Amino acid sequence: MSILKISDFSLELTTGSQACLLDAVSLSVEEGETVGLVGESGSGKSLTARAALGLLPGRTRISGSVVLDGTDVFSAGPSQVLALRRSTASMVFQDPRSGINPMRSIGDYLTESLILCNKWSKADASQRALELLRSVGLPRPEAHLAQFPHELSGGMLQRVMIAGALSTSPRLLICDEPTTSLDVTTQAEIIGVLTEQQAQHGMGMLFITHDLNLASALCDRIYVLNAGTVVEHGGVQEVFTNPQSAYTQQLVAATPSVFTRTVSVINPTRSAAALRPAPEPESARPAVMLEARSLSKTYYVKGNPPLVAVNNVTLAVPRGDALAVVGESGSGKSTLARMIVGLEQADAGDILVAGVSRAAHSRTRAERLDRARTVQIVFQDPYLSLDPRIIAGAAVEDALRLHNKLSHAQSRSQVLALFDQVGLGEKHANARPRTLSGGQRQRVAIARALAVGPEVLVLDEATSALDVSVQAQVLEVVQEIRRKRGLTLLFISHDLAVVRKVCETTMVMRRGDIVEHGQTKNLLENPQHPYTQLLLDSIPRPEWELDQPEVPLAPNTSSAQIIGA
Amino acid sequence: MNIFKLVARKLGTLLVTVFAASLLVFFSRALVPGDPVAFLLRGRKPSPEAIAEVTKQFGLDKPMWQQYIDWLGNLFHGDLGRSLQFRQDVTTVLADRLPVTLGLVVLAGVLIAILGLAAGIIAALNRGRTADRAILIAMTGLGAIPSFVGAIVLIAVFAVQLGWFPSYGSGDGFADGIFHLILPSIALALTFVALVARVTRSSMLDQLEREHVEVATSRGLPRSRVVLRHVLRNATGPILTVSGVLVAGLLVASSIVEQAFGLAGIGSLLVQSVDRLDFPVVQAIVLLIVIIFVLVNTIVDLLAPLIDPRVAAGAAAR
Repeated sequence: MSILKISDFSLELTTGSQACLLDAVSLSVEEGETVGLVGESGSGKSLTARAALGLLPGRTRISGSVVLDGTDVFSAGPSQVLALRRSTASMVFQDPRSGINPMRSIGDYLTESLILCNKWSKADASQRALELLRSVGLPRPEAHLAQFPHELSGGMLQRVMIAGALSTSPRLLICDEPTTSLDVTTQAEIIGVLTEQQAQHGMGMLFITHDLNLASALCDRIYVLNAGTVVEHGGVQEVFTNPQSAYTQQLVAATPSVFTRTVSVINPTRSAAALRPAPEPESARPAVMLEARSLSKTYYVKGNPPLVAVNNVTLAVPRGDALAVVGESGSGKSTLARMIVGLEQADAGDILVAGVSRAAHSRTRAERLDRARTVQIVFQDPYLSLDPRIIAGAAVEDALRLHNKLSHAQSRSQVLALFDQVGLGEKHANARPRTLSGGQRQRVAIARALAVGPEVLVLDEATSALDVSVQAQVLEVVQEIRRKRGLTLLFISHDLAVVRKVCETTMVMRRGDIVEHGQTKNLLENPQHPYTQLLLDSIPRPEWELDQPEVPLAPNTSSAQIIGA
Repeated sequence: MNIFKLVARKLGTLLVTVFAASLLVFFSRALVPGDPVAFLLRGRKPSPEAIAEVTKQFGLDKPMWQQYIDWLGNLFHGDLGRSLQFRQDVTTVLADRLPVTLGLVVLAGVLIAILGLAAGIIAALNRGRTADRAILIAMTGLGAIPSFVGAIVLIAVFAVQLGWFPSYGSGDGFADGIFHLILPSIALALTFVALVARVTRSSMLDQLEREHVEVATSRGLPRSRVVLRHVLRNATGPILTVSGVLVAGLLVASSIVEQAFGLAGIGSLLVQSVDRLDFPVVQAIVLLIVIIFVLVNTIVDLLAPLIDPRVAAGAAAR
């Protein structure tokens, strides 16, 4: 018997728009099996997972059934539902920072359901909490019990959340994007803990993710969800290597991979050569567009040891090239970007853009504008970087008019030209950010950055908040613009797979230091530094690709080619 | 060690604030029109000798700064000066009236805490439903009623029409005193109940949407436990902060309510003393209110790290 069986489950909002959020979703999870539920944001994956525990938003109409361990969750009485949540299934949420009450101790989190629901004694519950913390590999279980969430790192906290989910020995573990907010090396560790615990307890696992690489590495079977409908399901290799539905094909194609795939999911009709930047005559290339010399930045926080965010970093990017700065959180990559744009002052060292020193703080308005004309930045979250009250077109127009004396009609036509370059139209220019999708907003942010015609564009994790298919589109826009304008790119990212698609050269940073620097292709295929190797090893890969040797890229293809989405 | 440091620093800030307030309170007298000596001599046509004598008797002949230093020095001996209107020590005048005001404020505080929290919690847990709407409307209405109007309505209904409560005076003895304070404390509490209810509601709603509440629910905790352990507990911060600020409002509003109910408290004394240019009393009362206000807010600040460990961490780092 399946531990979880969802049949023809539909969910509709009863208020306002009458939107159908889930449409006849059916899936099952057997004991000891890992089932992946993949899809992009808004596909209904989290709703489906929460439905298994009877956690539904208010004002909805449902039909179909969700049967957890033989009990129909929706026809069961409240006490039965509580019993199911207590002993049959538990859930690991995406962000442990918001999922664990910040005002209560780790010990309280681990023992509360044991003491309050299962009537354990305090001593027994603490004992169990210690065992759990040990089993998820936390270093000092006794000390952790008395600690509060803010004292632990994200990875440690996610282990705590897993320990909490395991505290009542559930038979089904539902994981809702449990590693999405974590660094790749931490992700690998957490996945290790999850699979180990699953094997030990023989639990069924429903694993929700937007990351196809992760799903392919972890799951036995997979369901692909799109707009509330299961569009495809089956064995994981079958679905990924031979996707049947158009949506899955598109999703697989849009997913960047560090490793070249043995299966051709890339549209073969688009030749790589046609997309490569047009070769420029050698003489037209002035050597260096962006240069940093021995750049350093240290933050002093009272009561803490000084934090060296960037330590003696030197880099040079030739005009028209793209340099990727890769690192995990806290590596100093964003501080580096902010110093180059002038949002942060370097303690030491020099920044040269087009041969002009830009390290000094801009004092006058003219200096500030001058600097802004040379370097522009696109931030990670377009939901935050655009003013919600200003229509998209006006946001770009403001930047234009700040720098140039333009008539209204002139600036308007330039705005439309810019929107056209990033693949947007007039109706987007008249829309407020709220009504635009994440991808469209990020395009607006790019258009705004391009408005003043900068020579260097800094993208600080500019695509990491986007869905894969949207990310692919935005990356394509970036490549297109690069080719047309000869733009120099500094691409800050944590995602090696995206970097492979975009940048010629890559720099790996760790705790403020550059640990490795070189051609992207060489660096990814033949990493020298152990940290780079660790980063690469941490990237999830499907089992069936592990046995095969990595296929090197054909020598005539540039790593900067765009993969058609 | 950190907690001692924190307490010490808070106490230091408290002293500085009170000192600054004492300066302000004392020298503000220079800005007020009117001559206290004229009041003391009650409009009689005084002889220059009489004026000189009264001026000397109350130390008004010395320069302002000298007067301030004398006043401050006497403060440390518990001597607040002499009241011009009562011809008594200010301490005696205050001691007579302080219990009434304290009783009024404490009773009102209890009412505010119980009614405000209850209304806010019920509204938050029934968000969007009839109970929530009814409470919201009622609170908007209450918040709009000035305390003197509330006082008049309460007197008209419960004292005059129904005759349940006395409408005037402070009563004799403890029980009778409390009995006399019931209507006034309700009149005083009304506006502040609305304020606390609103803050409680919005703070709870903010927490109810948090993911850790959903996590607690997903672990099979009963609703009541989730609300108590994860919602209410986390929502206390803003409620406490508002309560601290509210104390000043209570003290000030008490003067109106005392006047309406004919209570001989600090509030009505303040109004009366301002009216009669009785500066020593005014200075003493204002300083007292400042000290109570700063003290309450210092206590709130010291409670914050006990409620939220992140505040404690932030304070330790500073």
